[in-house]
Amino acid sequence: MKLNRRDFIKTNAIAATAAAAGVTIPGMNQALAKGPDDIRWDKAACRYCGTGCSVLIGTKDDRIVATQGDPDAPVNKGLNCIKGYFLSKILYGKDRLTQPLLRKTNGKYDKEGDFEAVSWDEAFDVMAEKFKAAQKKTMEENKGKPVEKMTSRVGMFGSGQWTIWEGYAASKLFKAGFRSNNLDPNARHCMASAVGAFIRGFGSDEPMGCYDDLEHADAFVLWGSNMAEMHPILWTRITDTRLTKPGCEVHVLSTYEHRCFDLADNGMVFHPQTDLAILNYIANYIIQNKAYSEDFVNKHVNFKSTPTDIGYGLRPEHELQKKAKNPNKGKLSNITFEEYAKSVEEYTLEKAHEISGVPKENLLRLAKLYADPDKKITSLWTMGFNQHTRGVWVNGLCYNIHLLTGKISMPGNGPFSLTGQPSACGTAREVGTFVHRLPADYVIMKKSHRALAEKIWKLPEGTIPGKKGYHAVLQNRMLKDGKLNAYWVQCNNNMQAAPNMNEEGLPGYRNPDNFIVVSDPYPTVTAMAADLVLPTAMWTEKEGAYGNAERRTQFWREQVPAPGGAKSDLWQTMEFSKRFKMEEVWPEELLDKQPEYKGKTMFEVLFANGQVDKFPEETVTDDRGNEYRNHEMTDFGFYAQKGLFEEYRRFQFEGPKKGHEQAHFDVYHKVRGLRWPVIDGKETLWRYKEGYDPYVKKGEDFRFYGRKDGRANIITAPYEPAAESPDDEYNLWLCTGRVLEHWHSGSMTRRVPELYRAFPDAVVFMHPKDAKKRGLKRGMTAKAITRRGEIELQVETRGRNRMPQGLVFIPWFDAGRLVNKLTLDATDPLSKETDYKKCAVKIVRA
Amino acid sequence: MSDYNICGVVIHATAEKKAAIEKALANTDGVEVHANTEQGKLVVTVESDDNYYVADIIESFKDIDGVLTASMIYQFCDKPNTTNQGMPA
Repeated sequence: MKLNRRDFIKTNAIAATAAAAGVTIPGMNQALAKGPDDIRWDKAACRYCGTGCSVLIGTKDDRIVATQGDPDAPVNKGLNCIKGYFLSKILYGKDRLTQPLLRKTNGKYDKEGDFEAVSWDEAFDVMAEKFKAAQKKTMEENKGKPVEKMTSRVGMFGSGQWTIWEGYAASKLFKAGFRSNNLDPNARHCMASAVGAFIRGFGSDEPMGCYDDLEHADAFVLWGSNMAEMHPILWTRITDTRLTKPGCEVHVLSTYEHRCFDLADNGMVFHPQTDLAILNYIANYIIQNKAYSEDFVNKHVNFKSTPTDIGYGLRPEHELQKKAKNPNKGKLSNITFEEYAKSVEEYTLEKAHEISGVPKENLLRLAKLYADPDKKITSLWTMGFNQHTRGVWVNGLCYNIHLLTGKISMPGNGPFSLTGQPSACGTAREVGTFVHRLPADYVIMKKSHRALAEKIWKLPEGTIPGKKGYHAVLQNRMLKDGKLNAYWVQCNNNMQAAPNMNEEGLPGYRNPDNFIVVSDPYPTVTAMAADLVLPTAMWTEKEGAYGNAERRTQFWREQVPAPGGAKSDLWQTMEFSKRFKMEEVWPEELLDKQPEYKGKTMFEVLFANGQVDKFPEETVTDDRGNEYRNHEMTDFGFYAQKGLFEEYRRFQFEGPKKGHEQAHFDVYHKVRGLRWPVIDGKETLWRYKEGYDPYVKKGEDFRFYGRKDGRANIITAPYEPAAESPDDEYNLWLCTGRVLEHWHSGSMTRRVPELYRAFPDAVVFMHPKDAKKRGLKRGMTAKAITRRGEIELQVETRGRNRMPQGLVFIPWFDAGRLVNKLTLDATDPLSKETDYKKCAVKIVRA
Repeated sequence: MSDYNICGVVIHATAEKKAAIEKALANTDGVEVHANTEQGKLVVTVESDDNYYVADIIESFKDIDGVLTASMIYQFCDKPNTTNQGMPA
């Protein structure tokens, strides 16, 4: 009998699908055994969101031809979402960049010139010249300044989509090499508020629980999150639990109805910003009804208050900033339980209902759920809490509820901050790519932490500057103001992603004082606004590692070569460092402290330092004997990924902070990821709880060891209004976000023809009555106008999102309809994360 | 460009609508239901030589009344000439 290849592939498809559904189809295995498979399969973490699904990549003749959900992956158990289904195609967009592009006139670099293809040598020559000029000016300005006051004119905007070693290498290049803390990731736009609240509440970043909670919980509460579209695989797991576990409930809160409401037992649409009031009401209900866990609160919790009326993170001259009583203040003060109880007392059911617009019975049902000692509850959120001018506060208010009831750090019980990017945790947050951070939760403001980094990196004392650099939104302001002049953007599309593009983003990039470099696989909006574009090897065109939202670190091998001259961000960062002699980046007095570095290049000091270059070239193989390339290893002559990862791991073992330990590099190539801390080869599922976390001693029950006293903080914070609310002229709320088919700015998914066609252009979702009042109907073209700009797009009154009156939603994936021309650059004053969910807009007929 | 496309999808249906959904799927070109579970999960493949068709069909699953989730499991796309060769068993 002959098995046609088509039949064979079909049999494969059925077998994989049946296995994922938990069904055995008789005869399948025999059929599969009969067909030879000329496709090489290997695991990789998905390129898109923070869920961290594992996919099997099918490669034939150096091209990815197939993918399937990885049946051995604990995260997705063989499932994939629609974006994951088309993963193989993101590499093959027609306009893939394959050589550097430099703006030129008459053969010379010219900021006003047109893009021309150039060699890597020419690209790096011009780029190094511009960075050296900015560095020289920086060194003059810093003369005689203590490290705590140093500033810099060079900077980088990095990414939660970087692999772990790419972020780590960038952190080293800037914080140690250029001595600049102007390194911030796009994770500032998505996770900074979550980070702020984790540090304030627990002294250690990232969730205590893990995805196993999705099967253990009795009830799920979604705070703003639209998991059905943004984290579809996790939503599938919740759906399973809801449909199979008796008594399981799903509560969904949002400012409009979305697909999650289809499964909701208690769906609630609230007015923007009023989540603050609802959370305080729940805390009040728990206290009034004595439903808090006295034992847990007495043993494991401190009570604190935070300064209020803190402004909106706008430029200091902005009216709203001038009006604030305590702009940007966040220092906590001790209070008693009674004082805390008093602070939430005003948030009665009536008041919460009045402010939020949610019917009383729904609010009461939610409060009773949290108060029920017999219900295990997992709360989930993403951008609704984080992109919020009170983002740190609102994250914290959710922790308050879980801490009051002791429903935390146990299977099924816990607050869970989801992530939007594949390595916002593993890279952006963990290896120190924020303006204030160093690897493994250390910070640049503490001298002892800087000293640890200097020791591990073999740098003279006083190398790393102690002053916070420019965060994401501030980078655009400083570019515009001419204080940041040499700027490198890697692995993100910030011209499209950052708020208030017309007033802040574009003027900064096009400022004649500045040189802007953008590394990307595709000609994005950001790349087109740059002066030099560097073509990037993406995803499985390089060896990589991501860390997902449940602390799981996952590795993959290089599957296929990158097209043309495209090079990975890691290669670019390391190779560029060869262009600088130490004398060009460090002043004499610093070099005098380590004279052996004189005459050396940054590459030699940072990367060929006897540590990063410690592991010689080797053949990368899998357990089936397949061999894989590693282009960086070939080019540099050592196993750079391994050297960087192993050097990074030293931060986890040699400093005073415990609880962030990862396994050895080689282990991760063999497993489907491990959740840190990994102690004696064992991952940790629930942190801070005896029996699950090896750092909690017998008899302690819980210990929040990120904080010295081992206690978590309940921090009281009131409801305060949004930065910009609708008024008579701009009379609607504007909320922005994603749709299922596209990931973030669409630079990858819009290049997959099928996904492009599924959702080609951004539309404005609005209530039919709001449309009618403005003379609009479904399908008509409307203008969306704010105080900062306007765009034209079609009206959608039906479909997946059902808007309440008074609020419109516009997705941000569409480079042809840039919603960030409309948004306001108001941030949480504590986390500096933009509120993309709230500003005032008017919609008129186009 | 027309390639041979096949994908495997698990559809999670509400119990009471499962039969109706199965019927609707069986009446769609290129769609086959291979198995179902008591929990309401259907093992489905979609095949076509048209790249767009598969994506459009998968998208439309979510609009069928009673479908809670549709999860992709397996995807293959390659030139038909490399997929039509017979292979020795």
